[in-house]
Amino acid sequence: MSGSKRSFVPQPIEAKVKSADEIKNDKGGKSSVFLTILLVLGCVTILFPLYMTIIIAFKSPSEMTNDINGALSLPQSFSLDNFAEAMRVTDFWHSLGNSIVITAATIILSLVIHSMAGYAIGRNMNRKKGFKMIYFYIVSGMFVPFAILMMPLVKQTANLGLDNMAGVVILYTVFYMPMNVMLYSGYMKNVPMAMEEAADMDGSSAWRTYWTIIFPMMKPMHATVAVLTALGTWNDVMTPLVIMSGSDNVTLPLAQLNFQTQFGTNYNLAFASYLLALLPIVIFYIICQKQIIGGVANGAVKG
Amino acid sequence: MNKKKMNDRQKTYILMIIPALVLFVAFNTIPLITGAMYSFTNYRGYGSYDFVGLRNYIDLFSDSRVGNSYLFTFKYAIAGTILVNLLSLLLALGLNSKIKCKSLLRGVYFLPNILGGLIIGYIFSFIFTYIIPAVGSALHIGFLENSILASEKFAWIGVLIVGVWQAVAMNTIIYISGLQTIPADIYEAGMIDGASRWQTFKDLTLPMLMPFVSTNLILSTKNMLMVFDQIMALTKGGPAQSTESISYLIYKNGMDGGQFGFQSANAVVFFVVIVTISIFQMAVTNKKEEQL
Amino acid sequence: MNKAKTAKSLLLLAAFSSTLLLQGCSADKYSDGKIHITMLQYKPEAVKAFEKIEERFNATHDNIHLDIESPNEAMTVLKTRLIREDYPDIVGIGGDINYSNFLDAELFADISDLDVVNTIKPAYLQIDKDLEFIPQEGVYALPYAANAAGILYNKDMFDANGWEIPQTWSEFLSLCETIKETGTNPLYFGYKDTWTCLAPWNALAVGLAPADVCSRVNSGDTTFKAEYREVADKIKVLLDYAEPNPYAYSYNDACTAFARGESAMYPIGSYAVPQILSVNPDMNIDSFPFPANENEADNVLNSGIDLQFSVMKESKNKEAAYEVLRFLFEDETIQIYLDDQGGVPCKEGDFELPKFLSGMEQYINDNRMSDFHDHHYPSEMSVDALIQTYLMDSSANSAETFLDRFDTEWVRYNRDLIAKVKKYEEGQR
Repeated sequence: MSGSKRSFVPQPIEAKVKSADEIKNDKGGKSSVFLTILLVLGCVTILFPLYMTIIIAFKSPSEMTNDINGALSLPQSFSLDNFAEAMRVTDFWHSLGNSIVITAATIILSLVIHSMAGYAIGRNMNRKKGFKMIYFYIVSGMFVPFAILMMPLVKQTANLGLDNMAGVVILYTVFYMPMNVMLYSGYMKNVPMAMEEAADMDGSSAWRTYWTIIFPMMKPMHATVAVLTALGTWNDVMTPLVIMSGSDNVTLPLAQLNFQTQFGTNYNLAFASYLLALLPIVIFYIICQKQIIGGVANGAVKG
Repeated sequence: MNKKKMNDRQKTYILMIIPALVLFVAFNTIPLITGAMYSFTNYRGYGSYDFVGLRNYIDLFSDSRVGNSYLFTFKYAIAGTILVNLLSLLLALGLNSKIKCKSLLRGVYFLPNILGGLIIGYIFSFIFTYIIPAVGSALHIGFLENSILASEKFAWIGVLIVGVWQAVAMNTIIYISGLQTIPADIYEAGMIDGASRWQTFKDLTLPMLMPFVSTNLILSTKNMLMVFDQIMALTKGGPAQSTESISYLIYKNGMDGGQFGFQSANAVVFFVVIVTISIFQMAVTNKKEEQL
Repeated sequence: MNKAKTAKSLLLLAAFSSTLLLQGCSADKYSDGKIHITMLQYKPEAVKAFEKIEERFNATHDNIHLDIESPNEAMTVLKTRLIREDYPDIVGIGGDINYSNFLDAELFADISDLDVVNTIKPAYLQIDKDLEFIPQEGVYALPYAANAAGILYNKDMFDANGWEIPQTWSEFLSLCETIKETGTNPLYFGYKDTWTCLAPWNALAVGLAPADVCSRVNSGDTTFKAEYREVADKIKVLLDYAEPNPYAYSYNDACTAFARGESAMYPIGSYAVPQILSVNPDMNIDSFPFPANENEADNVLNSGIDLQFSVMKESKNKEAAYEVLRFLFEDETIQIYLDDQGGVPCKEGDFELPKFLSGMEQYINDNRMSDFHDHHYPSEMSVDALIQTYLMDSSANSAETFLDRFDTEWVRYNRDLIAKVKKYEEGQR
């Protein structure tokens, strides 16, 4: 449709294009200020809840009154007492450590196991029915509600001696497998087979070719998988709650859930602990913002 | 020689897929089958149980609470999917045009996606209960004076606001990356025709964006259908059971209550429903993509 | 080559870290030669008292090590532990439907041979007997502390205004009117947390409906519609005297509001007192039983078992578990618990009742008490949400709608139980 319109473009195309460009630039220049203001205003909806969390976290209960001022004015002093108390109650460093270990181990396992599977599937699914079936079989796992798996998994992990952090890591590796395999196999479509063929000529085994050539080449997708998997595992409550219950190890969100039931009346303390729970990932996000957004975007384009 | 190479290659492929397959079968398929098996029992989650045949499935269709949870979940998912996709498409268009502080703004808009649903829910619960009513009574805006979460009619909108707030980020990024795949010269051609902004969007941008629209639709429908964290933190299914989502009901009565068998049946049906919807969506959007 | 090395080391790292995790967590914790007793109790708010008790026990016992867990979401935690057959030795739970279900699933051991049993007040042992779906031989739970529910009131506020404690329903209503005129909320509810709807419900029900209403419905002698009509009508009247829109506020919010003097009374159980005092430690709280009837003599105090201990059948160290129970029921230990959590001790003896129960003391001493009705409701039926739905329903026939639904859903959620009981009763004949 648009193609047929394009053929009506009159002769002096150079001049026309230029003026169009100018118009576009002009328009762009004006709208950019307007749009920027609009988008900055929109940011308020994102930042307001966080602002509120921060100031309430610093206040003492006596500063909280039932009008807007009480909730939104700046605290009288930026005392760290609430944070110290919240850290003590949630055993902050210990839970933080557990969360980091679980997330890191999940990422490593995912990169290794899912990339291999995604590679094998991506290279074969268009030629071999078996691989295509395996692909759909694994991807359909995305739609299984966790609730139905929960109880059987509790029993199974316990029988295998996996009712601990290792079990949680393995379960996450399975939960994120559908998405990650989809991403990796989709990415392989863009990698020409010639890569492997060249290596084969040199007498390298397929296994070695994978680790020396293909795996490093999937680096952009590794970043995506790492980001998406990390975001999911870091914030998850249910899995550690049901799998690790009874052990002394808690993750950061789990500590939060405990805190909520125990100290729900003290909003200041509660908000200090929310903030503490949000802080690690926000800091991480600020440092790696480009990679994170890039990773997600990459998943959308290549997957 | 070449044949040997091929065999080595095939063997390696199979070897590579085995770890994933073993894990998947062990920790997804087997528990799924076990869970499905429980759906034919009156298992409480502990103790002994009897097989009750199809009773749980028959009950599902006469249980008004399950029916209401389906109504709520679908209402929520449809409204949520539409809102999320509209908002994120608009945001993506804005964030992809010539603006100042582009990467900073993108960074801020993506922020909600990295924050945990439960904690965000607690924070919004405070906002809905205290801040908005306080604003409402200060400005004498009647309908804001009562917490939205306390209204049987509108509590779902409160949950929806939080759900959308978090979900927009991810879809925006996907749309932005979609917009970036559109070559600039297409727009220039559009400019030449003197097409209006809306026409450019409708005739040029949207068709090119179709694959991303379908990805986003499927993703957000699925996520919205599985809503859980927000309910847990904001309403716990209340008031008057008006915000009980399917996932929440399965968890609450299957795990906390003694309905494990019955809720397993509910989960099996729910699984089938989600898969059906996703396949349907894929089929429809694929057709659309082909048409354009 | 360099890249190959990276890949290989990555693989190694993954393998290494996963084995490390496995080893770190599956290592045997017990190597000190002691008998280890694990106890899981469901009241996270009592964690401080139990830490103290645990410490004292371990300091005085060389051969037994006691480990008390007080997790949040304790019922979920306990159920997942049951699924994975990782049984604690002792569980501390409430005397409610969960106990009935666990007992019915044959999880608990008969502890009638434990000497402590004879020191428990018979009334509380009877409450546990009434919770049995099918009558059992033996004793399966040791009631530890009871709570009482009715009305908590702000004593200083009452004294300052000269308000009298109401004895009858109409006295209660006129008191509410008087308080309302002063501009203070007479009552405060935290109905956003649906379970709090059960507090006034139970307190009214014990006075207005027979104690064994559930089992009578199960055997087909009566209906809830016949027995609960007055309870339903009266709980709705209370809304006129509470803060506007009580469905916006949670239990925590209501405790805070009452602690800050925003209401004169708070219809809730004694279990809320520690929570309230945490907001306002100087508050002077007292209580009285809910005056549900026009005749004071008909009023009954709503009291049930807040915490009781059972030994799991699977426990391998029953003797050691008994030793722990004996320690728990020493007067000094009970006092530690009471000082922290309040409540009524279930053991015979001279314990100091907490100050905030003095208005209920007479009823306790006269044994004019009846268990919470909801201890017999199946939790998956969510009666609390049914009540909340009813309270929010402003149509004229809301009570009928609600009670009809109560009856139909009761049959649906209890049919296995009804069948079981019928079978048992037929076997008895």
